[in-house]
Formats: sequence, C-alpha cells, structure tokens
Amino acid sequence: MTAEKHGGNSLSESLTDPDGILSSLFFSSLSVFLGLASAGVLMLFLGHSPAAVYRDLFSFAFRDVYNIADIFAKAAPLILTGLAFAFAFRAGLFNIGAQGQFYLGAVTSAACALSFPFLPSWLLLPLCAAASMAAGGLWGGMTGYFKARFNANEFLVSMMSTYVAVAIMDFLVRSPLREAKGEYPQTDVLAEASWIPSFLSGTRFHWGFFLALAAAGAAWVLLWKTTLGFRMRAVGKNRSAARFAGIREKNVFVSVFLVSGAFAGLAGFLEVNGVQHMVVQGFNPLLGAEGIGIAVLGGAHPLGVVLSALLFGALKVGGLLVTQTSSVPSSIIAILEGFVMLYVILSFYLRHRLRRACARRRAAAGGEAP
Amino acid sequence: MILEGLLARAVQMSTPLLLGALGEVMVERTGVMNMAIEGIFLLGAWAGFTGAYITGSLSAGFLCAMAAGVVVGVLYGWITVFLKQHQIVTGVALNILAAGIGIFFYRVLFGVPLLPLTVEPLRPLAVPFLSAIPVLGPALFRQNILTYLAWGAMPLGWWVLFRTRAGLVLRSTGANPEAVDAAGISVERVRFGAVLAASALSGLAGAFYSIGYLGLFSNDMIGGRGWIAFALCFLGNWNPLGALLGAVVFGIADAAAITLQTSGIRMVPNEFLIALPYVLTIAATLARKRFNVPASLGTAYTKEEK
Repeated sequence: MTAEKHGGNSLSESLTDPDGILSSLFFSSLSVFLGLASAGVLMLFLGHSPAAVYRDLFSFAFRDVYNIADIFAKAAPLILTGLAFAFAFRAGLFNIGAQGQFYLGAVTSAACALSFPFLPSWLLLPLCAAASMAAGGLWGGMTGYFKARFNANEFLVSMMSTYVAVAIMDFLVRSPLREAKGEYPQTDVLAEASWIPSFLSGTRFHWGFFLALAAAGAAWVLLWKTTLGFRMRAVGKNRSAARFAGIREKNVFVSVFLVSGAFAGLAGFLEVNGVQHMVVQGFNPLLGAEGIGIAVLGGAHPLGVVLSALLFGALKVGGLLVTQTSSVPSSIIAILEGFVMLYVILSFYLRHRLRRACARRRAAAGGEAP
Repeated sequence: MILEGLLARAVQMSTPLLLGALGEVMVERTGVMNMAIEGIFLLGAWAGFTGAYITGSLSAGFLCAMAAGVVVGVLYGWITVFLKQHQIVTGVALNILAAGIGIFFYRVLFGVPLLPLTVEPLRPLAVPFLSAIPVLGPALFRQNILTYLAWGAMPLGWWVLFRTRAGLVLRSTGANPEAVDAAGISVERVRFGAVLAASALSGLAGAFYSIGYLGLFSNDMIGGRGWIAFALCFLGNWNPLGALLGAVVFGIADAAAITLQTSGIRMVPNEFLIALPYVLTIAATLARKRFNVPASLGTAYTKEEK
C-alpha cells in the first residue's frame, strides 16, 4: 500500500519510465521556455522588457571564456544536490535535506583543510573530499536510520534536520572556526594546498566539475548495475512486493540516505575547496532547493541531472550579472526556478494524458484491452 | 517575572502554529497534505504586511493574507487534486516560487527602502478581571485578538471534525474515498475545498509574524515555522486538540529561545536555542509509536473506469 503512495501517479511514471529521450527533451525545453515567459511577465511590473533582460542574461552567460567557464563552476555543486534528490527518489524516498548535508560537508571540509594545512595537496584534497562525503552521508544517513528504526517520516526529518544543520554551521563559523580577525562570521582563507586545481587557469572552472560528473556516473552504475540499485528500485516501485521478494527495506533506507547525503556533502567540498576557499555563514542558501528542481527537470536520471544543472548554471551566471548590472532583483532567479518546476509538473500531466490517449487508440485499432 | 514573560510569549508564539496546524489537520483528514504550507506562511506574511501598510488597516492586512493563501491553495489544489500530480514535488515548487514572489513584489511596491518599513502591530486586549490573576492572568488574558481566536478555534475545530456531518464527510473522504464517492459526494470537491480553507488559515498564520507581532516584513521571517505547523498536525495525531498540546510545547520552546537571547543569560550558544524547536520536532516524530494516519493520505483519488 505504501508504495502506491509515492508511486501510482504520473510523476513517478514520467520520471521512471520516460517515453523516449526525445519526448523528454521536448517537454523539458517547453517547460523551461514557459518558465522564462512567466518570469518575464513579472519583469514588466518593474518596467523591464523581458526580451531585453533575457538577451542580456544569455549574452552575459556566454560573453567570454570566463563566464562560460563559470557556468561549469556553478553547475558542479548543482549536479550533486540534484543527484542527492534523484537518487533517493528512485527508491521512492524523499531527501529534502540536501541543503543541510551540503552545509555540514562544507564546514567539515573547511575544518579539515584548516587543521592540516601542512599536508601536501595530493593528501589533503582526498582527505577533505572524504571528510565532506562522510559528514553529509552521516547526516543524511541519520534520516534513513530514523526511518528504518522508528518508521519516521523521512520528508519531515530531513527537512527539520536542515534547520539544525544551519544552526550547527552558524555556531561553528561564529565560534570555533571563526577567522583569526574575529570580524565576520566566516573562516580564515584555506591554505592553497587544499584548493582544487583549476581546469582553465584564470577562471573558476575547476577539476571538481569532473568529480561531479564522476559522481553522476557512479550514481548511474549504482542504480542500474548493482544489487543495491536493483533493491532500491524495487523498493521504489512497489514496497510490499519488494518485501515479499525478501528485500530488507530498512537496509535500503539507510544505504540510500547515506549515499544521497554523501553526494550533497561532496557539493560542500566543491564549493569550499574549489570556489570560495573559505566558509561564509549562510552561503549558497538555495543549493538544496535548486537540486530538487534540477532532479525533477532531469527526470531523476543522472544524465538529465547533469544537463539540467548546466542549464541552471547558465541561468545563474547570466541572472547574477543581470541583477548586478540592472535593477532587476535577484529574487527573479528563484521565481524562474519555481515556474520552471511548476511547468515540468504540468507537463507530466500532459504526457500522462497523451500516453493514455495513445494506448486507447492502439487498443481500439488492435481490438484488445489496454 | 521571567516566568510570567515566558508564559505570555509562549501563548503568543503558539498562535500561528495553531492556525496552521488546524488547517493542516482539516485538509489531511480529507487525504491531502498541504505541502505548500511554508510558502503560504511566507506569502501570508508578505500580503498581510502589504495590505496593512497600504490601507493602514490591520484587518485589511489579515484579509489580504487569507486571500494570498487562497490563491496559492487554488494552484496547489488544482495541480494535486484535479490533475493528480505529486503533492511533495508540487509543494516544493510552490515554496520556491513563494520565496521569490514575496520579496519581488515588496521591491515592486516599495523599492529599496533604507530602513525596513513598519506598521503598528496588533495590540494586546486585556480581559477585565481575568488578566489581573497573578502569573497566568497576563499570559492568558492579555493577548491580541488573533491569539484568542486561534485558541478558540481549536476546540471548535475538534467539534466540527468529530461532532458534525461536515466533519464526518471530511474524515470519510480521507479514510474511505470510495464510500464518499458512492454516497454521491465529489471527493475532489471536498478535497479542493479543504485545501482552500487550510490555505486561508495558513495565510492568516503567516500574517501573524508580520503584522500580528513584529510589524514588518522580511523574507526570512518564517524560517521553517510552516513546517513546524505541518509537523504538529501529525504529532497531534490528526486531532485539533492534540495539535493544540503540541503548539503549546513549541510555543514554549520558541519563547524560551527569544527570552534567553534577549535576557543576555548565556548558558548555551544561541544557535542551539534556535535549533531547539526543530530538534524537538525530530524527537517527537521518533517518540510517537502509533499513528492514526488517514488511509488515503497523499494519494490522488481516481474513479474506477468502466
């Protein structure tokens, strides 16, 4: 019964049984276009021409090598928070707490880099990466454990745990990890040995992007080439059938949240060691929510997540420059993302109807029941 | 003195949680979770402030807040009840959208003011005689009108839900939608109506933060309080009186955090006090063993096709 709760609707149908890559691409593009159009209507209230704003946005995003490289830098952590949601979703679970897992990954990675500044790069970088994954994974795994042990509602627990994680991060950057000057709630700048080397020098495009791609590849392998993935997807499709088949769903809950949290934690490593080189209180506050949008837009498939993250990255680079150079407020970026998500959901409905209409026609032609 | 202040603040801070949780209990009893609650709280806070600032009347502000809640409710209800799309994902989308919309239109209407714009928030109304009782008097009987309304609404909600025909229809829609359908009542209409009512209550709850208490609007003023109201519904076992009990506990946690922060007593870092209500929610979620979950909660109702 519980499986139907998350399963039997057109969202999971569209996310898990896509009717071809072309149709997915078409409906995703349509949703993005309508999202841009709707946010454009709002710009009229501020007396801006949406056409001009979008022209600026895209010309900013692709203006020069620096900005194009920035798209990849922005996309890297988005791929990971997108994967965090998508991975759990495949098992019919909701990890809404990627933001908190990301924050804990970020502070742990920074703490690691600040504690061992004397280590050589080849040792320090893997150490920071592993620490961030462990922190995010354990924090996420806690949600999975509570679900397995106490049958807690994972949506609620992961949501609430984010606010707790924010408080922990606030405490750490205001007290033990605070910069030596003690002026702002932020850490000192990390030793250069702990910086992720840049891929294109003079830009923010660093090798972490390829780490995110590797994570997407790993998610794909885990989901479709391992027994854990098979069990996960079985639990996601039909929980009671999976139980009859002898799959221990409790172990699945914990493993899924461990992996999902580790993805989000790794995003912390990428942002801290790759871009910021320090932790500032409350940085990147929307990364978790954006990951959910990216996962939904990308059909909860690793490849779709990567493509959607690149698109969101471009919107962020262009959007940020537009809001800095004109009077368009930065809230337009959240509005844009919200609209795109809504249209994706509406497109699921449309696709569901289209599929049913097709099935009916086929049944009528073939003379057999659908 | 500290105790008196703490109690008074606890009763005050429970107000929006009560309103939000009552709406959530009603709507979840019909089988739909209102996952847009956090966004509705925020837009309610924004609309309440905007309405009150422009018209100069707090009542107009509260009406605007309820209207804003209903607008989000129409969208949420249409997508989840009629189009039968996923409740959690739809809620997340609307919450992201709401986080942008409020602050965007604040900018459209008021530009970028140097100091935050303010309105005079609701004033406490002292009940004659009762408010003179030591300690409890000021806590319970020197509150604003919205607090009295919210506390009164909980037993009323219980009565409607468990003692009236309308309540029976609500509960049956969640527990056994097929039977409601067979009785000739539209499951979808009952659910949609409940979503709208719950959204109106949540909008009102949000406005409590902006114009019932602080007198200003900021985009981070809700900070998960909508989710706490959401959690109270289920911690209170889908019963308004259970939610009332929970809201009092959370009101005390909220009040203790504020009181300790402002009193300058430093026993623990502030951040841990801020985290207290959220930790409490997780702990309470784990501690509950038996739940009375409405059987069809979270699932769309589709009629059998011939």
